[in-house]
Amino acid sequence: MLVEMKQIVKDFGPVRAVDHVNLTVHGGEILGLLGENGAGKSTLMNVLAGTFPPTSGDILLDGEKVVFHNAMQAMRRGIRFIHQELNLCNDLTVFENLYLAQEIRGPGPLLNKKEMARRSAEIFRRMNVDIDPWALVEDLPIAAKQLVEIARSLLFKCDLIIMDEPTTALSNREIENLFTIMRQLKEEGIGFIYISHKMPEIFTICDTYTVLRDGCFVDSGRIADIDEKRVTEMMIGRQLADSAFDNKPCYATEETVLGAENLTGETFRDISFALRKGEILAFTGLQSSGRDELADALFGVAPCKGTLTLHGAPLTGSVRRRMKRRFGMVPRNRKERGIHNDLSILDNASMGYYNALMTRPLISMKEELARYAREKQALSIKADTPANPITSLSGGNQQKVILARWLEAGADVLLFDNPTQGIDVGTKFEIYHLLIELARQGKSILIFSSEFPEIMKVADRCIILYMGQINRIMERSEMNEEDMMYYSTGANLERGTAQTDTAERMVP
Amino acid sequence: MDRKTVNPRRLNGRRLFSEYSYVVSFILILIIAVCVNPNFFRWRNITTIFRQSATTTGIIALGMTMIICAGQIDISVGAQVALLSGFGITVLNATGSIWLMLLFCLAGGALIGTVNGVLVAYGHMPAMIATLAMQTSCRAIINHFGQGGPFAVADGMSTEPYYQTFREVANGSLVLFGQKVPYPMIIFIAMGLLFGLIMRRTRWGKHIYAIGSNEVSARLDGVNVNLVKVSVFTMTGVLCGFTSWLYSSSVMAVAAASAGNAFEMDAIAAVAIGGASMSGGRGKIIGSFLGVLMFKIINNTLVAAKVPTFLTGAISGAIIIIAVLLQNVRGRRR
Repeated sequence: MLVEMKQIVKDFGPVRAVDHVNLTVHGGEILGLLGENGAGKSTLMNVLAGTFPPTSGDILLDGEKVVFHNAMQAMRRGIRFIHQELNLCNDLTVFENLYLAQEIRGPGPLLNKKEMARRSAEIFRRMNVDIDPWALVEDLPIAAKQLVEIARSLLFKCDLIIMDEPTTALSNREIENLFTIMRQLKEEGIGFIYISHKMPEIFTICDTYTVLRDGCFVDSGRIADIDEKRVTEMMIGRQLADSAFDNKPCYATEETVLGAENLTGETFRDISFALRKGEILAFTGLQSSGRDELADALFGVAPCKGTLTLHGAPLTGSVRRRMKRRFGMVPRNRKERGIHNDLSILDNASMGYYNALMTRPLISMKEELARYAREKQALSIKADTPANPITSLSGGNQQKVILARWLEAGADVLLFDNPTQGIDVGTKFEIYHLLIELARQGKSILIFSSEFPEIMKVADRCIILYMGQINRIMERSEMNEEDMMYYSTGANLERGTAQTDTAERMVP
Repeated sequence: MDRKTVNPRRLNGRRLFSEYSYVVSFILILIIAVCVNPNFFRWRNITTIFRQSATTTGIIALGMTMIICAGQIDISVGAQVALLSGFGITVLNATGSIWLMLLFCLAGGALIGTVNGVLVAYGHMPAMIATLAMQTSCRAIINHFGQGGPFAVADGMSTEPYYQTFREVANGSLVLFGQKVPYPMIIFIAMGLLFGLIMRRTRWGKHIYAIGSNEVSARLDGVNVNLVKVSVFTMTGVLCGFTSWLYSSSVMAVAAASAGNAFEMDAIAAVAIGGASMSGGRGKIIGSFLGVLMFKIINNTLVAAKVPTFLTGAISGAIIIIAVLLQNVRGRRR
């Protein structure tokens, strides 16, 4: 089946998420859909899969114009969307999941389990995989769950399968297995749209590509005609430099403040680095790079082996003990891991101080208010009364309150985990200036971020993680987005021996 | 963001009402009480209300506030009171010392509360289930030992010297400003002030709100989440022990099967009327304090209005519903 999307536009209120994009996939072809986060890939795919209609533009199947009002209509026409997060019910069996909402019944209202299981087994045979239809989904390894999702799309007539980052949770060996199945299905004439941030995969499995940037169509063509550098360039465009931070001075001294040796946790291994006083050291990497877990491990909320030292003495124990050693962390995901919804702005701002520094038995309201007033001014927090709930503030101001919490905890080594997530550009820049100012005052800073432009603005050094290991360390003078993307997608390790080596080690 | 652009004054007015809706409810109930019972504001009536509160669920409700603010629940408090009262009286009869009895009750309560807390925090049991099991166990044990009759102080012989001493605990009073103020009233008010201070002005209090509001954030802020969870259950156990002492003194003979019946429900209802969020993070001691009083005032008024005893529960129920609905009207805005 030939699928064409022509001049697709999708607006969300005043925001144009997809702007006149064209896309074509033939049967028996695997198209790689490329672009940075927020480039509009998922929106475009949701339009194709009928999740929501386009604002304008046409979808043609074999030249016939179609309009999908919901996902079910798209499914009936043979378009299947496998979402990034697995949509399986863990407590049901494999075949129950496959037939969820489309159960085979009879006699009467009773389920015909035997028939469903038999047909499921048939699908698995066709895919050449060994999964027991009667097994509980919960008991399956994650790769098998992914395969169940794929099997679900094959149960009924299916011509196009859209896969949104299907391999983030898979080891390389499992990825190979997935690719084998994809090639097999391709032989049967099924088309694929494949979304992934991992360059080696794109170049292994895809036949053609389409690149999006900021909701716009950039380019498309045959994968064989381009290389990874070129793709990266197309994805990030050329409107980069931000002169305000071009001549950022480096305040790093020779003294090592935080030392890590061979840190190994669940999703990362053999991480060693030394943070110097006054330095801003960045960590970056894709979702699967172990970045989040590493940040948690440094702060003592995720398990890890290896040695961690602060000012030469081992850093161990609970979060509170780390705080008392003047080590602080601004956590990622403000909503889930930062703010206390029910508490006032003041209590939110003071929580760090209570735990790290307060020695007297009773809290002094006067002191708290004075402290808050100081931070409010320093960070220019826009809020009327400190007794208001924190939810009355905008995202950027909430984040500033969280920053205030950690500045008031008196930390001199600070870990910022995705500090500018979901806040507006203006506030982002304020936070960048704050980071640099803190470094000037002699504080040492670790910043974990997925945004390369951000790292290029503030960091003195950047450690790029790939599949849980340090892939590359860049000095400020060497930093550029192309290379950062190149190394964080593991493109330098390509399909050679290096990668299978990693694969072996990543299998739990 | 867009909500910030609306007039902040108006927002504050609404917030003020939502924060202090329990004061509104309290005043409404006072007005109704005075209308029904012109003698309501007699000193004797007031002290009775306070004494009844303190010797039943008043002090427990303070602990329940902590538990609910921490996002937990404890439905074992009534059974704890039955168990501790029964065995407490046994200790009293054996030793003749009301202070040893108090010590026993406090220690026993701390133990039971800690078990509850450990099951919840370290055993990862839902608080409802852990404390349900505790409730059943406590009640069963005291029923077993109480077979064939209630636990009576000095076996009902008022000639024993400690009989009168112990009676004084709940029924005696101090003369202040020319008025008789019952001991339980003084204790209840003092405890209310103390726990209000703890919740507002100590690190412990802030930690309780923090874990009830967002456990993950609290952990990342350096709060020892498990320890705080255990501590609120332990404290509530201690308060149950203390209540057992007062309660035993007020009744002088405790029936194993019915002592402390429905205390947990009354305490939880008082906290709810007091404006606490059942999912944790929000709630005030003063709210629960007034909540407890509201309950007793309602009962007091219903008695004065000669409502049949068996129907009073239904009317209390209706009032809880109205009071909490009142809070939810603004709650939906969130």
